[in-house]
Amino acid sequence: MSEWKRTQFYDTHVAAGATMVEFGGWDMPVQYPTGIVAEHLYTRHFCSLFDVSHMGRILVAGPQRVEFLQHVLTSNVCALDLNRAQYCMISDENGYAIDDAYLYRFEEERFLLVVNAANTDKDWAHLTAVARDFDCTLTNITADWAAIAVQGPKSKELLTVLSGGEAVTEPMRNALNTLELEGRLVHVSKTGYTGEPIGYEVYVKSEDCVWLWNRLIELGARPAGLGARDTLRMEAGLPLYGHELGLDTEGKPIPIFAVPLARFAVSFSPLKGDFIGREPLLRQSEAFKRIMNRDFSDMTELPRRIRPITMLDRGVMRAGMPVYYKGQEVGWVTSGTMVPYYRSENEGLETVITDDVVKRSIGSCYIASDILDDEPVEVDVRGRRLRAVIPERHLDNMAPPFARPIIYGTELSERPAADTVHPALTLLRRAEENHLWRQKHCVNLIPSENTPSRAVQMLCASDPSCRYAEHKKVKSFYDKDIFYYQGTGFIDEVEYLLVNEMRKYFGCTEVETRVISGQMANTAVFSALMDWKNRLDRRRTPERLGYVMNNHIIKGGHLSAQPMGALHDYIAVDPVTERSAIVNFPVCKDNIFKTDVEETKKLIDQYRPEFIIFGKSMIIQKEPVAEIRRFVDEQKIPTTIMYDMAHVLGIVGDYFQKPFEEGAEIVTGSTHKTFFGPQRGVIAVNYKEDELKYGLWQTIENRAFPGSVSNHHLGTQLGMLMAAYEMNTFRDEYQKAVVENAKHFAKSLKAQGLDVCGDPANDYTETHQVLVSVGYGAGAEIARRLEENNIIVNYQATPDEEGFTASGALRMGTSEMTRFGFGPKEFDRLAELMADCILRGKDVGEDVSRLREGYTEMHYCFKDAEFETALEGFAGKIGF
Amino acid sequence: MNHPTELKYTKSHEWLRMEGDIAVIGISDYAQDALGDVVFINLPQEGDETTAGESFGDVESVKAVSELICPVTGTVCAVNEELLDAPELLNQDPYAAWIIKVENVTETEELLEADEYEAVCAAEH
Repeated sequence: MSEWKRTQFYDTHVAAGATMVEFGGWDMPVQYPTGIVAEHLYTRHFCSLFDVSHMGRILVAGPQRVEFLQHVLTSNVCALDLNRAQYCMISDENGYAIDDAYLYRFEEERFLLVVNAANTDKDWAHLTAVARDFDCTLTNITADWAAIAVQGPKSKELLTVLSGGEAVTEPMRNALNTLELEGRLVHVSKTGYTGEPIGYEVYVKSEDCVWLWNRLIELGARPAGLGARDTLRMEAGLPLYGHELGLDTEGKPIPIFAVPLARFAVSFSPLKGDFIGREPLLRQSEAFKRIMNRDFSDMTELPRRIRPITMLDRGVMRAGMPVYYKGQEVGWVTSGTMVPYYRSENEGLETVITDDVVKRSIGSCYIASDILDDEPVEVDVRGRRLRAVIPERHLDNMAPPFARPIIYGTELSERPAADTVHPALTLLRRAEENHLWRQKHCVNLIPSENTPSRAVQMLCASDPSCRYAEHKKVKSFYDKDIFYYQGTGFIDEVEYLLVNEMRKYFGCTEVETRVISGQMANTAVFSALMDWKNRLDRRRTPERLGYVMNNHIIKGGHLSAQPMGALHDYIAVDPVTERSAIVNFPVCKDNIFKTDVEETKKLIDQYRPEFIIFGKSMIIQKEPVAEIRRFVDEQKIPTTIMYDMAHVLGIVGDYFQKPFEEGAEIVTGSTHKTFFGPQRGVIAVNYKEDELKYGLWQTIENRAFPGSVSNHHLGTQLGMLMAAYEMNTFRDEYQKAVVENAKHFAKSLKAQGLDVCGDPANDYTETHQVLVSVGYGAGAEIARRLEENNIIVNYQATPDEEGFTASGALRMGTSEMTRFGFGPKEFDRLAELMADCILRGKDVGEDVSRLREGYTEMHYCFKDAEFETALEGFAGKIGF
Repeated sequence: MNHPTELKYTKSHEWLRMEGDIAVIGISDYAQDALGDVVFINLPQEGDETTAGESFGDVESVKAVSELICPVTGTVCAVNEELLDAPELLNQDPYAAWIIKVENVTETEELLEADEYEAVCAAEH
């Protein structure tokens, strides 16, 4: 009888035929009868279960739990929100890792710290010794709760079966949730040690753990042992204590910043105070920054770094083998083996993962910090020097649901060269093909697109398209617009008329029409808001905006209203969380497309956002502008409310929302989605001249010009005036038709058997958009198939999904086809053809073209005889 | 475990079969199972000399590397190059997947019968 400890799954492993070995004092499965290679591949391809109950689980509670953790860990514990996890290190006084760990916050009052099995006793001794100075308690709960890592692209699906359809966690990495799986309480964390973008660690009470394991096996998961866990983490470039952390081959401790993940595990936030290891880690961090800037003048703090390494010659590297660079020994391999993968075919979104198994020889190494990526090195394999290279990475998990191997030296195929005989002629022919296909044979359902009328298109291409007309209001002339160029009288007149038409459209006081895109409209507003905030103190670096409330991109928010979009240069970093000072609108549990107003109010109360941005690019529900306006007014919360109406600009009014009546102060948008314009942007505000915030409006004008444009694309501005006339004339009938068509189309798709998202009580949509769920990760493939059949849609990630490559939905809009005369009958037919294509795999391309060809005439534009004659005259005279 | 009686075995888990004057050498079923998934093999070249009791190459599994010990002294006259691209054949059928053939055999290590060999394996396990 061995002395080794057994996890709650010991009998399960033995019954499954596992080969058991000692690991960190535990009797653990190293592999099951299928073997490591099969287990590795099954994880990447489907879903594996790993018993991780041997890892140390320590609960930290008590009044000074945060102070204790801030002192004993390297991470910023104050930045850890409820239901989030963070990676961290337990550093010693010299900036070397006692262990690496994960900190989870499943509850307000307690933290769960999970440490390596082999280090649990050492960690426990260190943590309890440090804890003596703090009013907190540590409890080792390793025996009470078991842990299963459920990893791989199908893991979400399997767990969702057991949760009865409830979302297992939010889709972001490090999200946590507590829920019941078929009546048994579990804590779930979207984390893992395999590099899989879809993977969970499930904490389950010891008495329920074997039940959960067996249920997952019944659903198709397979067990995997420590062997596969090691090859998977190695391929993912994740450190293992004892190899990439701890002592190196010579027995010297490895500095924490030698590990690439350290950047995410170490915080120097003032909130952490003088935590254990702070000073040496700060020196390591400075050395790391120098090295990343290729300044290798002083590498004493970080002489070597942990890097991936790929063998080019035939052979396998193992931990401890020396690595040579230009003949000099520069370090050692820390982990290495042969790792299997499924070969891929094709490129980009067309990538197909085949069943063909290939292996590659890869590992990690600890080598001189001045060796760059792609440098050739050599590994001494039992006396033979084999060629190897330092790649950027072995695996990438940014295109979920799969972790994708990055094979060193893979190059994309060359694009076909331009026609050399008469490229200009070829270009014309290609443009003609494209135009006819998109305008006459395709049904375009991209909700952010529309086709402008012939009059708008001709005006766009006429003379102003080659002109400049910079202008600015000048105080000396009582704010008269002064133009910088001659020959601009016509432009002046057009712009004046356009502003008036758009004011009339919005029912507001002021409109800026010079911005040439919706994104630019947002940038100009954000810049203006920041400028306005700092206007009374110009002698210091301006303060950025924060907090800002917006819709998260995963929940349908506009890219242009994200920190990665137009907010990038204007959003503050919260010193507590060390993240962008953004708070997102929460969504309703029973309708993830709808903002949860009561929860929003709580967050507004908590964060006091200085700026609230409504609006989404995946929008099928009205935004609760009026409710939030009422709330901030009642609570006297100083803020600015903006509605980014990019998608819904053309349905402002009785059939959707009237933003200014509901209490928005600023509306931005793009003019070519539901609106009739060419591609431009617009900013509208409802400030009156005697209001304080009229100054903000003047700042917005200033950030439009000269802040954003010099040339504001006068051709399309001229076309935009015609579009505004069309909209103001045909608004009522067009808006009614667009929204009714969307509702009808949604119901029709549903009747055809498709899974339409949204609330059946409002016919699935309140806008021009219709969302259809086609199965997790299947969106791109189905969108491609529809394109082959002349139906153009967006594939779209729903609020439950990780990102665009995992998209399981289609996003469609009715605006363009409504303009071409589609009504309920045509949308019925389209729904039938789409269902044939998606559900029944039929080729419907010709039927789609036939349907489309009957509807090429533009509606909701001027068609009276006098106008038609004038338009033909204009076309003839200007030579179109 | 399958250890055919018509073959001879070494304590280091190779098998040997004589085809006339030529010694055909591979690894046993016990060896492949203990190694786990074989992912790579280093082979000698035709014409290389082998020495009884000394290494003639190595096999790498996912977990570790193991030396191949030659039971005979002689000259390599054939290598199974198929194994370079498909080392997993050693797991699938270790007796079909011979590794090398040696001629001019001058010396042979102590060899075991199948039942003796199984006793050695049982003791190791």
